[in-house]
Amino acid sequence: MTEPQKHQITDKDGNATKDRPWIFRTYAGHTNVRKSNELYRNNLAKGQTGLSIAFDLATQCGYSSDEDIAKPEIGKVGVPINTLDDFAILFDNIDIAEVNTSMTINGTSMWLLSLYVALAEERGVPIEKLQGTTQNDLIKEFLARGTYVFPPEESIKLIVDMYEFCLTNVPKWNPSNVCSYHLQEAGATPVKELAYSLVTAITVLDAIKERNCFDEEEFERCVGRVSFFVNAGMRFIEEMCKMRAFTQLWDEICIERYKVKNPKYRRFRYGIQVNSLGLTEEQPENNAWRILIETLGVTLSRDARCRALQLPAWNEALSLPRPWDQQWSLRLQQILAYETDLLEYPDLFDGSPVIESKVNDLKEQANAEIQKIMDAGGGVEAIKNGYMKSQLVVSQADRMSKINSGEHIVVGKNRWTDGIESPLVRDSDGGVFKVDPESAAETVSALAATKANRDDAKVAECLKTLRETAIKGDNMMLASIACAKARVSTGEWTATLRDVYGEYRPPTGVEGQSLSIENETLDTVREKIKTFMDTRGHRPRIVVGKPGLDGHSNGAEMISVAARHAGFDVIYFGIRLSATDIVQSAIEEDADVIGISLLSGSHNEIMDQLFEELDAEGAKGKVPVVLGGIIPQADAEALKEKGVSAIFTPKDYDLMEVMNRIMDIILAHDAE
Amino acid sequence: MQTNPLNENQLNQLNQAAELKKLPIAKLISLFENRSEGTAQQRHDIIHHINNNPKMFTGKGVTIGFTGTPGAGKSSLIAELCKTLTKNNDLRIAVLAIDPSSQSSGGAILGDRTRMHSGSKNRNLFFRSQASNLELGGITHNTFQATRLLRYLFDLIIIETVGIGQNEIDIQYMSDHTFLLMQPLAGDQIQFMKAGIMEIPDSFVVNKCDEERLARTSYHMLRASLKQSKLIILNAKDNFENAAKDNIFLTSATKNKGIQELAEFIRSIQRNHLNEDDFNENNLNENSQSKGKKPKDIESFYLQKAIQELYGKFGLGILSQKHDSLKQLSGYEEKIAFATTAIEQQILRR
Repeated sequence: MTEPQKHQITDKDGNATKDRPWIFRTYAGHTNVRKSNELYRNNLAKGQTGLSIAFDLATQCGYSSDEDIAKPEIGKVGVPINTLDDFAILFDNIDIAEVNTSMTINGTSMWLLSLYVALAEERGVPIEKLQGTTQNDLIKEFLARGTYVFPPEESIKLIVDMYEFCLTNVPKWNPSNVCSYHLQEAGATPVKELAYSLVTAITVLDAIKERNCFDEEEFERCVGRVSFFVNAGMRFIEEMCKMRAFTQLWDEICIERYKVKNPKYRRFRYGIQVNSLGLTEEQPENNAWRILIETLGVTLSRDARCRALQLPAWNEALSLPRPWDQQWSLRLQQILAYETDLLEYPDLFDGSPVIESKVNDLKEQANAEIQKIMDAGGGVEAIKNGYMKSQLVVSQADRMSKINSGEHIVVGKNRWTDGIESPLVRDSDGGVFKVDPESAAETVSALAATKANRDDAKVAECLKTLRETAIKGDNMMLASIACAKARVSTGEWTATLRDVYGEYRPPTGVEGQSLSIENETLDTVREKIKTFMDTRGHRPRIVVGKPGLDGHSNGAEMISVAARHAGFDVIYFGIRLSATDIVQSAIEEDADVIGISLLSGSHNEIMDQLFEELDAEGAKGKVPVVLGGIIPQADAEALKEKGVSAIFTPKDYDLMEVMNRIMDIILAHDAE
Repeated sequence: MQTNPLNENQLNQLNQAAELKKLPIAKLISLFENRSEGTAQQRHDIIHHINNNPKMFTGKGVTIGFTGTPGAGKSSLIAELCKTLTKNNDLRIAVLAIDPSSQSSGGAILGDRTRMHSGSKNRNLFFRSQASNLELGGITHNTFQATRLLRYLFDLIIIETVGIGQNEIDIQYMSDHTFLLMQPLAGDQIQFMKAGIMEIPDSFVVNKCDEERLARTSYHMLRASLKQSKLIILNAKDNFENAAKDNIFLTSATKNKGIQELAEFIRSIQRNHLNEDDFNENNLNENSQSKGKKPKDIESFYLQKAIQELYGKFGLGILSQKHDSLKQLSGYEEKIAFATTAIEQQILRR
């Protein structure tokens, strides 16, 4: 045996070896269970080693496909799941005893886990073999992603129920996955990303401790089940330092706050999806390089390397990615892991004074922010009083201001914007993925068939037990699994609990916020606002609405803040509104323009609903409607024909130019 | 100021508003908020028409004000109250919610609908946001103007102020009954008294009393502060169960506690108001609820405010000279037109 050298990794016998690669994942799911099953089996055959399931928004928000609110969303951003029969098809010919399944599910996590457990029991798979993750981080849903269902306290209660159940029954399951990913997408700086996600973990673990359902050894194991889902952006050195800071901070919290003795249970286990926020609609081919660079930040340093990685596709700012786009991203992971020597070395950055100093700086600031939140009452309180949310809006507004002023360079967006058009977007399908509208019918009729065949008395009994358990405050898992087996639907399970727990609307975080943009366009807009006020006797009023189930509110928030900065009176009241909510509000407020933000791909259906409502109130054509979001060019003409005055997409990043165009529309409408 | 009969469009709009159709009400509010020239005549004509057709316009809107520190939960409480008060579909309610405007841009984010979950098709509930327009005082001129109209259409007008501060005292002139909202055990009761704020409200609401223990402690603390300041006559003995008799309400909007009791109290204010006869704009300033306070003369308050804004102390001086002539006039628009002309004449004479 030769003496190992410092640049080598050794196995337990002291021989030089190399690391196993991380788990390769592709976030996937669309259309319906049959199509998604095909996709998963193809991906597994291509060398993917874990499943990452995307659910459609109705499933995420707890509605069945046969409910009105669900209809525009069926199969759009993920797979729709209504009953256990759907799950059986989704995992058809996939061995759930073997595969590691990650579910991006939050408000309805307990329900989806119950379906998975029920599926295993019906297939005769021992449930202790199940491995995977339910995302189940409700704090970041209230802050950034928007698929919460129940109020904060009840949301945390359900998470604790799942930890309690899983530790003994499904020990390889991660009941929740603390997400900093979406915080960065919502604008968080590395410090805020560290602080708010660690506050989230503390909030969950404190609640588990408070329930006092585990002995010391069990609690240690429970801490060991907490995993993280992190983001990595373009500043890849800082991002790598952030990962090292994360690892160290988590270790310190586990030792100091939770007295975890076994180092194995203190390990910071994390999966990654690299940043989509920085991907551009302009020159979208450049995003391939961005994704590669972001990947380096979470793979270069062995001590802070991710355990699982999923990459966005180059064309995410245009629309939902196609299978080819996802394959291209998977290939990047494979090339990095297998063609390069990355996995042969110990940590490359140990002992670097630069890295150490940067890590310490991040840790210090994050600790201060964590302390501030804990002193003010902890995570749940910081959701309810809107502190964390408004901090995210502050960062996002700052980022947008810098892109607008050119201080923050984005190639192809605010610098070097002229270029040859990419042949990638010239495909016959326009380089974008479309869901076949007929496939939704298949989902709805499958649900009807299940409902026709199930034992109604059994369903009623299971729902009654579910309700009673909720009222008593007992653990909800067993009652939920029983519902799953009785073929209760997603909508029925959720509606029962919604009725007991109530609903909740979190603060929007936009009140009192402003931008730091001062430029000629702003002067022009303010001049036009003055003209408007002179003739109309009031400030222009804009109602900013997010209809449907799509919770990605960054765009709506930035437009609200920008409009206030320009001098509008802005009516914005958060996400998940119906077309009726928005139209009635716009009428009561005598709005001069309605601004709609949509990112889920359901713009065609939802704009139809909106115009129908306006028409019914005799207000169609009386107030201009503008639309912003991920809207494929191919849909633009039809939307304008429906009555949309202007469409804004991610390439309209110059917020004051957007305001300028909106003012022109208002003034032109006035002149008519 | 002359009075013109309404044209067909105006009549249509007003009649539809009387049926509580939302679009015409919204347009009329905008007219009342409008400060550009030429709109005063329309407002004057409309109010004149309404006063001449009392059978068409059956609202006798009682104005209820809610003020209190930001974060006390005003919006959530009002949302719960509206749910309770509209349940039987026998009360018509308009809510005016005011949010602050930006100092630098003049724009505002009006976010009170977040808690309200408003925007339903129910005609008995109308919600409108207003920007503070950088006026001190918390209640804007726009709120005053909108209220002039809404009181003929609705039974209750609920006003939510920006959040209390040293200058936020206008609400007492605007509303028939003012509630001060506070958080339990905030320890700021004494602070309020120093600021002179305790003199404003007719009643107190301690919101966010999620647990009874919190409610009890808050009640006893608040009562002790009030007793010391001798600002309000305390009826009940120091008895938590009878807190309402001291005009102290203990609520939790999130746990739906104390809402029913507060709603009943507001209903009783509204019923008492109905018993008063001779309801028209000329006795807007009479107030049955003022407990020995000086009459709340909202109209002359806003007249003074408007004149001061336009002409400063010089204008106010002339306004007070014209006091007797103003009394002869009916209607706000006529009074302000008269005062403005008088002041302009003085300026020319100089």
